[in-house]
Amino acid sequence: MAARSIRTRGERVGRLAVLAFTGLVLVFLVAPVFVVVPLSFTDSEILVFPLPGWSLRWYEDFFTNPLWTGALYNSFAIGLSVTVLATVLGTTAALGLHASRFRLKPVALGLLMAPLAVPVVIVAVAMFYFFARIGLLGTFPGMVLAHTVLALPFVVVTVLATLQGFDPTVVRAAASLGASPLFGFRTVTLPIIAPGVVSGALFAFVTSFDELVVTIFIASPRQRTLPRQIFSGVSENLSPTVTAAAVVLIVVCMSLMIAVELLRRRSARLQGKAQ
Amino acid sequence: MRAAPWTVALALAGVLVGAPSLSAQTISVVNNGGSVADAQREAFFKPFTAETGVEIVEDTFAQELAKIRSQVETGSLVWDVASVTAINDATGCEEGLFEEIDWSEYLDPADFEGVGGFGKCGVPNNFVSGGLVYDGDVYAEDGAPRSWADFWDVETFPGKRGLLYRAEQTLEVALMADGVEAAQVMEVLATPEGRDRAFAKLEELLPHIIWWKAGAESMQLILSGEVVMTYGWNGRVATANQSNDRNLKVAFEAGHVSGSQYFTVMKGTPNKEAAIDFIVFASSPAPQADYAARISYAPANEKAYPLMSEEALATLPSGHLDKASYQSGDLYLDFWLDNGDQLLQRFVTMAAQ
Amino acid sequence: MTSLALDPPTGPHPLERAVRRSERRRRLVALLLMAPSVLFAVAVFAVPIGLFLFRAIENDGIPQRLPRTTAAVQAWDGGDLPSAAAFDALADEILALKGTPELAQLGRRLNYVVPGYRSLMMGTARRLDAAQVATLDAEATRARLIEADERWADPAFWMPLKQQSGPLTTFYLETALDFERTPSGELVSVPAERAIFIDLFVRTFQTGLATTVLCLLIGFPVAAVMARASGSLANLMLALVLIPFWTSLLVRTTAWVILLQNEGLVNKTLLFLGLVDQPLQLVFNRFGVYVAMVHVLLPYMILPLYSVMKGVSADHLRAASSLGAKPFMAFRTVYLPLVMPGVAAGSALVFVLAIGFYVTPALVGGASDQMIGYFIAYFTNTSVNWGLASALGAILLGLIALIYLVLGWAIGLDRLKVR
Repeated sequence: MAARSIRTRGERVGRLAVLAFTGLVLVFLVAPVFVVVPLSFTDSEILVFPLPGWSLRWYEDFFTNPLWTGALYNSFAIGLSVTVLATVLGTTAALGLHASRFRLKPVALGLLMAPLAVPVVIVAVAMFYFFARIGLLGTFPGMVLAHTVLALPFVVVTVLATLQGFDPTVVRAAASLGASPLFGFRTVTLPIIAPGVVSGALFAFVTSFDELVVTIFIASPRQRTLPRQIFSGVSENLSPTVTAAAVVLIVVCMSLMIAVELLRRRSARLQGKAQ
Repeated sequence: MRAAPWTVALALAGVLVGAPSLSAQTISVVNNGGSVADAQREAFFKPFTAETGVEIVEDTFAQELAKIRSQVETGSLVWDVASVTAINDATGCEEGLFEEIDWSEYLDPADFEGVGGFGKCGVPNNFVSGGLVYDGDVYAEDGAPRSWADFWDVETFPGKRGLLYRAEQTLEVALMADGVEAAQVMEVLATPEGRDRAFAKLEELLPHIIWWKAGAESMQLILSGEVVMTYGWNGRVATANQSNDRNLKVAFEAGHVSGSQYFTVMKGTPNKEAAIDFIVFASSPAPQADYAARISYAPANEKAYPLMSEEALATLPSGHLDKASYQSGDLYLDFWLDNGDQLLQRFVTMAAQ
Repeated sequence: MTSLALDPPTGPHPLERAVRRSERRRRLVALLLMAPSVLFAVAVFAVPIGLFLFRAIENDGIPQRLPRTTAAVQAWDGGDLPSAAAFDALADEILALKGTPELAQLGRRLNYVVPGYRSLMMGTARRLDAAQVATLDAEATRARLIEADERWADPAFWMPLKQQSGPLTTFYLETALDFERTPSGELVSVPAERAIFIDLFVRTFQTGLATTVLCLLIGFPVAAVMARASGSLANLMLALVLIPFWTSLLVRTTAWVILLQNEGLVNKTLLFLGLVDQPLQLVFNRFGVYVAMVHVLLPYMILPLYSVMKGVSADHLRAASSLGAKPFMAFRTVYLPLVMPGVAAGSALVFVLAIGFYVTPALVGGASDQMIGYFIAYFTNTSVNWGLASALGAILLGLIALIYLVLGWAIGLDRLKVR
């Protein structure tokens, strides 16, 4: 209070201006999301405000038009397969990285993280050439492999983060009590890292569910995903069904990311308590 | 422990969904998308599937021949049948991208004489006219653009213009704007001076151009008011008017670029028989008449005309045939075969300025 | 046998051995755990990227398809015309390829070097008759080729066959930097009207830099306010920053197209308020690209800034002002150095992400707003000039690696984390 009272009038005006600016920026950040949602409920053919009336017709179109339902099905099929593969690979990698101290560890970690640092269009084009050569272009397994590469870093990072607070002596204690390594892993390690594994799995799913650029290059129409279909919608024919599809994408991705955030906070709290 | 059953469930789901639709035979057909895809779905795909049980997987492209080249050259086909322009049919055939098929085994050549007979590899399917499109509600009859010179006149008609992001067709239009008669356009373009003239004309309008690649985009641009005029194909205009209750018009008298779209079979497809069946089906009179009624592109098969209603026939573009630069004939094909890639490169460089 | 002598007395204690053994086993387990994912990343990521980069220097197609001709041309000094043997070999090899896709591919490959080469190849093949050429001797074949197309009498069309006959070529990298070879083999800049790539790199950097500066100017005050806000308010603000972060880039770009188009909400509002009397062109131009890119990348700036600023106590500033420092002085000399790692991390992240953008400019930009990413896609998908696509990609990747290296050296790579 005392500190505030000695502020000059100019400082107060400046402070207000910064606050107002911050408010505007936050509105700018969320505005697009909150524009797309109401537009998807319009009863008009064209995307205008104010809405002439409300209707669910575009959702009906989305959930009955085979182009869109097919895309939704493909997105889930690919996303779930990626989740399984990336979670298994990423979790074992994180456990290995955590347990090892060998010299090549930074190289291994760097290799696993590299897909995040390379522009995705380069990854996409490189995979396009490579998959064309080995016959994986335009195939379901090809899509799963490509998306897994992009999802893997997220699983490794989240599981490694939970392992940071994990004391390996607990496992040794379990072993000294006669637990087999596998039993020890199942009863001791896994429950502790579970939130990280689940977070990583959710991240992996969202990464695949939301992926566009690699899909543009390597998917055939038989693997057309939801983002790919939205992309053609935007560049060809911006109908309200595209906004309905966008809302479905938003709802799926955002609810999973909120779950990740809640898990992160929960494990942070648990780790905090343990200390 | 809790994660274990969950992971197993996911793994099972992954395995289950990993092997979809192995049962029915499918072929993949690529066309220009938007309302063309809609009309083909109703007139060709659904009836074909109903008759043969062969499912059609759809895709769209904007006539980038490169997408076909990369599939054939890497031996990984994602398409079986492609709907292509005359020049793509000819180029692709010469490069060995399409199957060379003796279509007279399946279809009567006489039925297709009206549109110049079979293509080098493909079968003509419908006849498309690209012209100057404007909104009849924005420009009343007396104030409407009448020529490509008007299209270039940003003083009298302020606003952006939509043009096709492709050298072929757009260079022809530029020459018409520069005062070349439609019938002479190809002769002028065949000379180096003619090419320079077309590019100079385009550069003149460059700041006012919004480029589009897919037909649906051109309609999107003019319907939303993003552009006041655009180059556009007559079938797109007809369907855009129908589904949006609008009054877009094509000024055919300004000169137009007209030619057939061809159905071709991709080289090396394992589904060659089904692909041929599909093309034969889509070339037969009834689906041809149905397609023309839906999108106002004239049928290539003459036997389709008697099957069309008076109203449907009335929507087909007629008249102004003397104002066309045709996408057929030796002059046209040889010119674009020889210069297509090079002019596209020059075109892209020009547009990126 | 010698080992026996060295055994128990001087060897390690059994317990120590047991520990070592378990340590070894632990290392082995760790290695086995890492192996699948590392092998996976090598097979599905490192190898494709490596092959992609190799394509930038691989001489694909010329020596493989014209082995005899390229060999025969080596003896030529580049002056007049190659020997009749070279013509003879060329005619044979063109005829052997006639009617196969390989001829068109070869023509296209050579067309990258000398425009017109594709039509030269295809036209020559069309006009030559195998049975007739077989009856001709080398000299007559030379005459026949020049008769088929007089460009064969132009050394410029022979030069690439001589210059690019090895397994590797610098041709694509030269092209990607707007260089070309003269008929005599000298490296020169291409004429201005054909030079596009230097402009493209400059444009990419300009766009990236402008986006970074805008994000920093907008993000800095916002992050500062967030860092000073109390618990629940800070959480709310954080959520508002995270919502776009969690929303598909595609959806956000789509939203900007809807908002900014002529009939869009922004223009409608401006018209309604009477600020403009006809819609402004806000999308399909550079403005639209900046709006959408800043929107997409702003969270990447705010989050690292926020995490660093939260660690800076307000006491520092107060201490400075109690020592008589003016607010600006305190900001510059105390606050700024403390939050500098956040500024550097955020800016580097935004810049590196921005110069690799592809989808957003493709959807909201015009033809003259596209960056390197677009042209990599263009040369892959639309033009099938894969060598050039790879060369552009290699240069972009090299620049990004350089930025990471400089930053890693300057502030430590581990600081480059978003959260």
